[in-house]
Amino acid sequence: MTSTSFRQRLFRGGRSKTMPPGQAGIRFTAVAYLIVMLIVPLVVIFSDGLREGLSMVWYQISLPIAANALWLTLWTAAVMTLINSVMGMLTAFVLVRYNFPGKALLNGLVDLPLAIPTLVTGVMLVILFGPQQALGAWLQEEFGLSIIFAPPGIILALLFITFPFVVRSVQPVLMNLDPNQEQAAATLGASGWTIFRRIILPPLWLPLASGALLSFARAIGEFGAIVIVAGNIPLRSQTAAVYVFGEVESENRLGASAVSMVMVAIAFLLMMVVDRLQKKTGNTP
Amino acid sequence: MNNFSQKVSIRPTIFLLISLVWISSLLAACAGPAGNNPTGNSAKVTLGAYTTPREAYREIIPIFQKYWLEKTGQTVVFEESYLGSGAQSRAVVEGFEADIVALSLEADVTRIENAGLITHDWRSQNFGGMVSTSVVSFAVRKGNPKEITDWADLARPGIEILTPNPRMSGGAMWNILGLYGAATRGFVAGVPADDPEAAQTFMMEVLKNVTAMDQNARESIINFEKGIGDVAITYENEVLVGLLSGDYYELVIPRSTILIENPVALVDVYVDQNGNREVAEAFRDFLFTREAQEIFARYGLRSPDSEVAKATQEMYPPVEDLFTVEYFGGWETIIPIMFAEDGIFARTLTKAQETR
Amino acid sequence: MLRNLARNGLITIVFVYVGLLIISPLLSLVIGAFSEGFGPIWSTLSGKTFLGAFWRTIWIAILVVIVHIGFGTAVAWVMVRHRFPGRGFLYGLIDMPFALSPVVVGYMLLLLFGRRGLLAPVLEGLDIQVAFALPGMVLATLFVTLPFMIRELIPVLENFKIEQEQAAATLGANGWQTFTRVTLPALRWGFIYGITLTFARALGEFGAVLVIGGGIQGRTDTATLFVFRSLDERMYISAYSAALALGLLSFLLVMGTEILRKMDKNIAEPVKKRI
Repeated sequence: MTSTSFRQRLFRGGRSKTMPPGQAGIRFTAVAYLIVMLIVPLVVIFSDGLREGLSMVWYQISLPIAANALWLTLWTAAVMTLINSVMGMLTAFVLVRYNFPGKALLNGLVDLPLAIPTLVTGVMLVILFGPQQALGAWLQEEFGLSIIFAPPGIILALLFITFPFVVRSVQPVLMNLDPNQEQAAATLGASGWTIFRRIILPPLWLPLASGALLSFARAIGEFGAIVIVAGNIPLRSQTAAVYVFGEVESENRLGASAVSMVMVAIAFLLMMVVDRLQKKTGNTP
Repeated sequence: MNNFSQKVSIRPTIFLLISLVWISSLLAACAGPAGNNPTGNSAKVTLGAYTTPREAYREIIPIFQKYWLEKTGQTVVFEESYLGSGAQSRAVVEGFEADIVALSLEADVTRIENAGLITHDWRSQNFGGMVSTSVVSFAVRKGNPKEITDWADLARPGIEILTPNPRMSGGAMWNILGLYGAATRGFVAGVPADDPEAAQTFMMEVLKNVTAMDQNARESIINFEKGIGDVAITYENEVLVGLLSGDYYELVIPRSTILIENPVALVDVYVDQNGNREVAEAFRDFLFTREAQEIFARYGLRSPDSEVAKATQEMYPPVEDLFTVEYFGGWETIIPIMFAEDGIFARTLTKAQETR
Repeated sequence: MLRNLARNGLITIVFVYVGLLIISPLLSLVIGAFSEGFGPIWSTLSGKTFLGAFWRTIWIAILVVIVHIGFGTAVAWVMVRHRFPGRGFLYGLIDMPFALSPVVVGYMLLLLFGRRGLLAPVLEGLDIQVAFALPGMVLATLFVTLPFMIRELIPVLENFKIEQEQAAATLGANGWQTFTRVTLPALRWGFIYGITLTFARALGEFGAVLVIGGGIQGRTDTATLFVFRSLDERMYISAYSAALALGLLSFLLVMGTEILRKMDKNIAEPVKKRI
């Protein structure tokens, strides 16, 4: 293998000495597909948003209503992610480490949110927690807590929608943990909590982070459930996605494109980080 | 490695096969609904309407179909789309080939006109092209426990209001204009007439009380029916239709409010494209006839036809001070001033949230 | 004993959480749908409006799955077998639709395919209608479901050793045999999960399809739009029934996949990351 072809050097992972027509065909198909499906629409949005320059973009997103919408989106997604991380981890732990009646059902339920259209999620939450229902009215009277048409409703909807992500991210890694280390620690006298904190948790950080970031990213763009549940009052309960919808509706194309650009950028950066994390996770035995 | 490359070349073949399947099905799907040409003795009319008069059109269309069949022997099939007025207007501009548009406000038809799709003077039809009217009013709980009788009551602390977002729905602009107009015309207690600053302060107080801003008036009233809020600012006809469905709440019409005028227009470019001008024009004209007007009236819409109006006076009491969008100088004037992203409404809303 | 307490405590917490978050909303939907017995549910689901919308949704979902099987595999293949500069960037790009607001997607498509869009002259020349017609809806759904198949296939492809294929070849299998007996079985779970997730997501698509399709009854309405419209028209049982039907279909799909996996003893690949 002394003389390597230029192609081989270019694609260092390539295994063939020459590129069979099949491989070229695949590569071309893949690239063409991605260009059409992804690059073109993105270029369109960015060029539309930047149509009147970066300063205009800044102006649009710093309008109080727009800025507030972005802020609300980010902080509700963050709170949701925190809760989801804890509960997702807990759920994964319980599913992997324990046996109990109803375990199979629980496992199935984890995937359920993926099957429900987000619109339906919003509707269900309003049915359940709306002020006219027993639960909603009671919460309002006892705690002054309004869930529907307020940020808690947003967080709740997002929790429902992203429930599987952390669980399914942590579960496989948890399943593959080597029990020997834990047993060794136990014989040395470590408590359950210490074992958890210092042996079980560390390898879970990466999948947890990746699942958490995935939930966060998913939450940012959510529209169907939020528009039903959130109240959509500008500066109070209007998320970025709903704001963009309003701007599209009122022909403020620049505003719509500008905020969309920001959302795309955030989504893109997040997903890049997720993928980097997942690759790292994939390499742990 | 010979075998390796042999095996690898299988895969792209499969990809190509699958791509061919995809492309052909996509083409098949395209080929489907593109043709609008009536076959034999049938025609098609495409209606793009806003959501409010849905129920009325459901009744009117079959009647027209029967009438047309008897008159010309031609079967006419209807394709209907009901979206928010602005959404519908934009859809038409973006390529939805509606033959007839029935929208909530004139500005939405003007948009289609400005896109070059309407080339005749649609305002020269009956009643200035307006097929129905309504008034901005309030829906309150049965028995009106919070005693809401006029605009001023909306600014009382503790009142929870539902109203749609004018940025999301052109129709929602009516509500804000009704409020603002009543204030500047001196019909709001404590707000002097012709004082824009005082009127804006009043608007701010009202906006502070808004609990939810929905996508359109229909969603506002539906949320109200679900038990949210003390009052919904909405159109009279939404309340009446809701009452028809057996819901229990009351209608309150303020002393001064804006007259909502809903236009209907034929979209020339699409009509000529679809080749159904005769039946489309007939349908448009039918909407202005006594029969159709009476149906609209049954679904909560005030008729611009004075005879029908007189006949339905009990259901539609006269309003003390009724003004139109002309009071503001027309849509072209007021929309940029009030509803631009940094217009009066947005600024007032921002102030309202900041001082809550 | 403390261990037992902790164990039971944790399990209870999880059950309460899942009960409140997942089960009760679903229950209220089911109860709402069945509140007047099975009759209204049946009349909704067998009605012309719903069926038309439903079949359109299914048709779009199937088309989308087919496309992603073909092109998704190509992309996954390229991503796995080659190192090239910008690969990380491409990863981010592929996953991005996952986090994008559907409204933005629909809006982008309008900018391209609307009457005043960038591609309008091309479309007019070819007499193809994309916006407010089925092709536009398919494109919108293709975009939002893009990541799923690729993401499922990449880990499976990564773990798939090319040596297995080479071994089969040296043992005398021809290209096709190798493909069907060595390659496909090893990859099948990637495909199955990918198909399931893509299909479920496509069924539930609402925002993008509404913006690009226009919700024209009989032409561009979907099952989700039917739910939305029924709610607006105060036909609540109709709405809940349709919602239930949609959810049930997707759920059965997901569950079916899980059951298949349990039954499958020949899982050779190591743990894969799903979602």
